Amino acid sequence: MKKIIQNRYLLLFFVFSSMLFANRSFAQEDAGQEIVKLHYYNSNNSIQYLILESTLKKNKVFTPQKDKTYQIYLDSAGTNLIAKVKTDAAGKGKAFLPPTLKKIWDASPQHTFIVKAGDEEIISDFIITKAKITIDTLNLDGIKSIVATVFKFENNTWTPAKDVEMKVGIQRHGGVLSAGDEETYTTDSTGSVTAEFKKLNLPGNQKGDITLVAKVEENEFFGNLAAQKSVKWGVPTKVDTHFFEQRTLWTTRFKTPYWLLFMAYSIIIGVWGTLIYLVRQVIKIKKLGS
Amino acid sequence: MNTSSNDKQITDDLMPQKFSKSGMIWVGILSTICVIGAYAYYRQLRYGLGVTSMRDYVSWGIYISNFVFFVAISLVGSLITAIFRLANVAWSTPLTRIAEIIAVSAITFASLIIIVDMGRPERLYNLFAHGRLQSPIAWDVIVITTYLFISLFLLYVPLLPDLKIMNQQKNKNSAWQNKIYIFLGSFWKGNSEQVKISDKIINILCIMIIPVAFCIHTVTSWLFATTYRPGWDSTNFGAYFISGAFLVGAGGVIVAMYVFRKHYHLEKYITELHFEKMGRIAVMLSLIYLYFNINEYLVPAFKMKKSEAAHLAELFTGEFSIMFWFAIMVGMIIPIFIMLFKKGRKPLPMFITGIMIVVGAWFKRYLIVTPTLLHPFLPMQNVPDNYKHYFPSWEEWAITMGSLAGALLIVTFFVRIFPIIPIHETITEQNEKDHSK
Amino acid sequence: MNNNNNIPRRDFLLGGLLGTAALVEGCSEPKNPFAQDEVVLTGEKVKLLSVDGQIIEIDRAFLKPVPDVPHLSNAEERQGVAGKKFIMVIDLARCKNLKKCQSACNHMHQVHPGQNWIKVLGMEDADHTAPYWQPTTCMHCDEPPCVKVCPVDATFKRQDGIVLIDSDRCIGCRFCMAACPYSTRVFNWEEPVLTQEVAEQPYSCETSMPQKKGTVGKCDFCPDMTRKGELPHCVSACPNGVFMFGDLNEDSVTNGAETFRFSDLIKDRAGYRLMEDLGTKPSVYYLPPVNRNFPYEAGLENENSEETKK
Repeated sequence: MKKIIQNRYLLLFFVFSSMLFANRSFAQEDAGQEIVKLHYYNSNNSIQYLILESTLKKNKVFTPQKDKTYQIYLDSAGTNLIAKVKTDAAGKGKAFLPPTLKKIWDASPQHTFIVKAGDEEIISDFIITKAKITIDTLNLDGIKSIVATVFKFENNTWTPAKDVEMKVGIQRHGGVLSAGDEETYTTDSTGSVTAEFKKLNLPGNQKGDITLVAKVEENEFFGNLAAQKSVKWGVPTKVDTHFFEQRTLWTTRFKTPYWLLFMAYSIIIGVWGTLIYLVRQVIKIKKLGS
Repeated sequence: MNTSSNDKQITDDLMPQKFSKSGMIWVGILSTICVIGAYAYYRQLRYGLGVTSMRDYVSWGIYISNFVFFVAISLVGSLITAIFRLANVAWSTPLTRIAEIIAVSAITFASLIIIVDMGRPERLYNLFAHGRLQSPIAWDVIVITTYLFISLFLLYVPLLPDLKIMNQQKNKNSAWQNKIYIFLGSFWKGNSEQVKISDKIINILCIMIIPVAFCIHTVTSWLFATTYRPGWDSTNFGAYFISGAFLVGAGGVIVAMYVFRKHYHLEKYITELHFEKMGRIAVMLSLIYLYFNINEYLVPAFKMKKSEAAHLAELFTGEFSIMFWFAIMVGMIIPIFIMLFKKGRKPLPMFITGIMIVVGAWFKRYLIVTPTLLHPFLPMQNVPDNYKHYFPSWEEWAITMGSLAGALLIVTFFVRIFPIIPIHETITEQNEKDHSK
Repeated sequence: MNNNNNIPRRDFLLGGLLGTAALVEGCSEPKNPFAQDEVVLTGEKVKLLSVDGQIIEIDRAFLKPVPDVPHLSNAEERQGVAGKKFIMVIDLARCKNLKKCQSACNHMHQVHPGQNWIKVLGMEDADHTAPYWQPTTCMHCDEPPCVKVCPVDATFKRQDGIVLIDSDRCIGCRFCMAACPYSTRVFNWEEPVLTQEVAEQPYSCETSMPQKKGTVGKCDFCPDMTRKGELPHCVSACPNGVFMFGDLNEDSVTNGAETFRFSDLIKDRAGYRLMEDLGTKPSVYYLPPVNRNFPYEAGLENENSEETKK
């Protein structure tokens, strides 16, 4: 009993002291801290774009910053404007590389992206090496595999990139289902990954198509790379409309079970039919009286 | 000669009377309660159901238990009128109209109180525009409407001969009363053809009202029994509700009988014999209800399934135990013991017993609704503290009391306008009796 | 590069991949909810530069981080996405009662203060059994007791399995709350506390916003997010990857970082559903709290002591 009370005082002490500290740190952070992140994406080796993410950290809570404008430059701040982006409700903005920057883009295998808000330079060290990813399939003795290769632009040619971690698998809702047992794969000296396709009998679309994906995510040199390929490796799925079409107790009023309709309406018609007959009898009494 | 003076005596005795001083006070008190209830409802409309103490766990409170109470007490109309009439129970004649008006006012307020409970009462039309037959609420709406209509019908048709009597005494009534009587019944001449048709109507209604009355109680019980919750998930519920409804209805009639008899000096018409007979019936109804209660509680208590155990423990020995044993003792067991004795079936003890039955029944309905909701399958966590308890707010009490007062007001005004004991039938029966002598 | 043929098709492919959480079915089946016609195309082309210096055209619609989907009618929202059957798997072995799911959900749906659509319950089934943390969402039952009892079709089950509420229809009778054995439903007892921006937007069953006084609310599986191919807010908010969301017809679930074949996951980890004996057939599966990442006690610090196990 005594011990508990002691503990309680101790606890109170901690609570109060932590409150004191918390207050101090709150005071320091009161204005909030702006956090801007840049992500580089390259899809199917053709379109590349940047996603800018702006959040405000205030009192340990992160909230997306809406309607903020940022300028994104290529290599040198001030001259090579890629785009002005305005963040949306999720605090995100998207920028493509305009054709006007072709010359500068082609000039170097490596580029720096610079983000400015007004005159203030927020990000200056975001460097991306040009890279590509390819995806192909392999069928050896009935064993299906996916081959994905990453190339980087070096010495004016596309050379294999080794030791790149990536996901190889099947595109599913919200994620990539790995082709094999491992969650991720790493490229070998030829820049390739060969992933055995172990997810047999996976449901595809109505024709049995599934979409294979090779994805490099948030790589420190290459950013996000993705390539995909549609193959007939899945099991064709039938659209089951029966579930939604049936007449049950939980379906809408347009799908009331027939037995219920029959019972309800026969009772209603029986009872109210009689009642209407009786009302007519009252009217008859009334007529007899006048 | 003797007969007609007798008739006149009966007519004079049973004519509706102006409110006495105590009657005015009674109406004044009831109206005040109604006005307070209306103000509370205005607040509820304005600020939302947040003014009540209901929250996410106890999402149904005394509005619903009061609704169940009203539905239950309304069953009496079919009991006294229909069952007795079909069984040729002659002594029930003076009680039929009391029973019917209680039924009509109770069922009216049952439908009003269910609207009060709605979060969006202005969307009531959705029940008709988008009504869904799979829902027990749809069944309840249909069956309550039907029952209200039949009850009104059954109140009105036997009233026709009395309206003729009222119309014959224009000088004794106020002008507005005469207007009502002429509007409702000037066409009734009482000729044999009219009587024949009206007898037929009453007979058909009496047959029809019994299954409809059983439906309304069964369907109301299904609002609970169609869920999975401990205390509601019971196949016993329909019969349990019907037997409870019969009992509280009989209790209500006993109380009304006593009050009308005392206030309007109707000792000649509502006799000790009536109390005696109603007492016997009430004992039987209490025993039946007790039987279903034992079924309802003993069977799950024997097994003590995990979900039921906490709920039953709360009722038997926990937070609700006082109310539970109060409802069982006062609502059933003590009345049984009082009414088993001949002395207990005298008017005054019967009146007290009737009040006990009605009050016990009101709390019984509360116990059916609330404790179950406080025992969900998953523990009550991650919610503010007041979500884990329920005690009605003043607005809920005011609205509930207002609805009870409103139901009594309907009965009171009805008695002011119409003879509460059927004059014509009483005269006919009296004459038949004299002839047979 | 030949851009002349089938340009919208290409746009779609690219555009889909361009999304932050890309979901592309490689080929556009009519049932694919994310087929090109689901994105509002402007018809206006924008030229841009590819990685190897080529110039490509795409529709301006894809300039947004997430392309706009067409505005849906109430009837379409009630139908749901064809060919989908959304499910969730909750891994109890990973839950530390951080309640990030809860706060993200409350924030995104502007749930009334004090109320929660997701509850993280401290469970202990019996005296000598192990306590564990159990996040509970709406179970989106295949035999939904709440939908059965609704008198006005205000709550309904869609073909993609999601049980939603139409707050423009709800009469506030609260029968559904009494019927739900999982106590998942909450009621707007008072005028909801909304930001002006949310209060002004038109009501949608899919966003469940803006919430309305006197109507019922609950976890909705974020159908607005899933329509965009993204994950519900609770799934992306959980740092421990407790929640996994997916499509039963694709036989996979993901928490964003990891993706599992649903049937394998349920088989290997002995997944189960809550209150199976009631016959409600939930769409939410639980993985039992074995080989836990955190001891139960680790979650206590996030719980005020009064509220822990019952």
